[in-house]
Amino acid sequence: MVSNAVAKGANDRQIAIIVSRHTPVTTIDNNLLRSVFLKKIFLDPANHVYVPVNLKPDSKLRRDFTLAVIHMDEPQLQSYWNRQYFQGISPPFVLGSQTAVVDFVAKTPGAIGYVRPCYVNAKVKVILLLTVIGALADAAPEHCPSDGRH
Amino acid sequence: MSKLARGPWRRILLIGCVLAWSGPLLADGSGSVGQAQPYYLGQGLYFPQQAVRVGGYADVQFHGLDNHRNALAIEDLSLFLTKDFGARWKMFSEVELGDAVTVTDHHVTTRNANVDLERLYAEYRVSNGITLRVGKFLTPVGQWNLIHADPLVWSVSRPLTTTAAFARHSTGAMLYGTVSLQNHDLDYWLFADDSQAIGFARSHDLAYGAYGATNSLKNDFSHAVGGQFLYHMMDDRLSVGASAARYTLRDPLQQYRLIGIDFAWTGRHVEFSGEALQRTADNPTLPDEVGGFVQAVVPLPRKLYVVGRYERYRSSTQQGALSIRSIGLNYRPVRGLFLKLERLDGSRNAALDPSGWFVSAGVIF
Repeated sequence: MVSNAVAKGANDRQIAIIVSRHTPVTTIDNNLLRSVFLKKIFLDPANHVYVPVNLKPDSKLRRDFTLAVIHMDEPQLQSYWNRQYFQGISPPFVLGSQTAVVDFVAKTPGAIGYVRPCYVNAKVKVILLLTVIGALADAAPEHCPSDGRH
Repeated sequence: MSKLARGPWRRILLIGCVLAWSGPLLADGSGSVGQAQPYYLGQGLYFPQQAVRVGGYADVQFHGLDNHRNALAIEDLSLFLTKDFGARWKMFSEVELGDAVTVTDHHVTTRNANVDLERLYAEYRVSNGITLRVGKFLTPVGQWNLIHADPLVWSVSRPLTTTAAFARHSTGAMLYGTVSLQNHDLDYWLFADDSQAIGFARSHDLAYGAYGATNSLKNDFSHAVGGQFLYHMMDDRLSVGASAARYTLRDPLQQYRLIGIDFAWTGRHVEFSGEALQRTADNPTLPDEVGGFVQAVVPLPRKLYVVGRYERYRSSTQQGALSIRSIGLNYRPVRGLFLKLERLDGSRNAALDPSGWFVSAGVIF
């Protein structure tokens, strides 16, 4: 499911995968997205280096994304990155908020991040819209900018 | 262990370090991130202006072997340095200070201290599925050898299967990467070693490196070619691998063929892993080296894990197979910190991997 125009207040059960508006990439599938965030794939079709960005480890959205896309729980993922770190491969860049993710992705060629759809603005484009299902969707969503509490 | 800091390689290393600390060569689109990021234990410290990441690990170990003096040692102090040169080039080094301080009963010594260039290589990313690595690297035989650092493995002791039959370090070139096969990831490593010609910073790995082992046989490649495949299934919860290599060891000079298999399975309440290998000498009068182990890890509450392992190994240096049983606890209170306690017992293992108590504490930073 791909959307390039997601309004604020869109479904709280969705996660928008975003890249810079100027990036030629228009879509990505789940498998490729997983490989990018595990740093098994590093070049996009235009030969730009992917720069995946994560939220902080205690972020609920990060947990949702990790389970939905990476299919690992936090200890598994931690073990994976420990092994990669020993090989000189670092985990994705970490940013402190969804607003920071949007700003970073907007100005960084190759950057790819995930936010709630309500955070998306004109400086970035959505290349994949994930719908969180099952137990993940039952948890309370993080606040959107319109709530004034982010 | 090699003694670094002599000969032309010191100058090369120095040049490498200067390059590593110089400013970024490429700006946007290079894959490096020109902005500071928060530090998390176990991920290294990133210097965005230089595109350099500095990290490493350190551990202290206590060895209480049966019928031996107890010993406490700062076992490892390893420093990683990673630098990206634009989008496709990377340099990585690991320098290790081993046995910096050893305390035995009432005696403190730094006599065993050694500095070892564990790894030093440059990488070029050819494409998404192919990376070329040139330099000194860990030999890709089995999974343990590639992640052998104390903070990353569950036990204090290391199975003989992962050390005895081959050199743990190679110097030469490697192609590695991940390709998709039937919607699953297939990791591969193909390497060629020419330590005889290149021969810098040899590690002189002990074949039987366990504390208290009396056999001092060393495994150094003269030449080697080989590779490994690792196929991931079930969202990485199951991986199965196979290794093969053909090589010449320096002392005694002898040619060998090696084949190995390995697996790891992570379930909700238990994790199993194991490796097995067979090494055959070209000289038919020499006995094979054959062995394997299975390890289980069960998570308990409060970030505590029970670790059990059974290994059976037939060495070419002694008659008959030995067996080793190990049971231990691993406590991981927060990311990057660990504390391990282990009891190792066995039969016919006194010379190669003696029984005893082991404790290890450390950090990956």
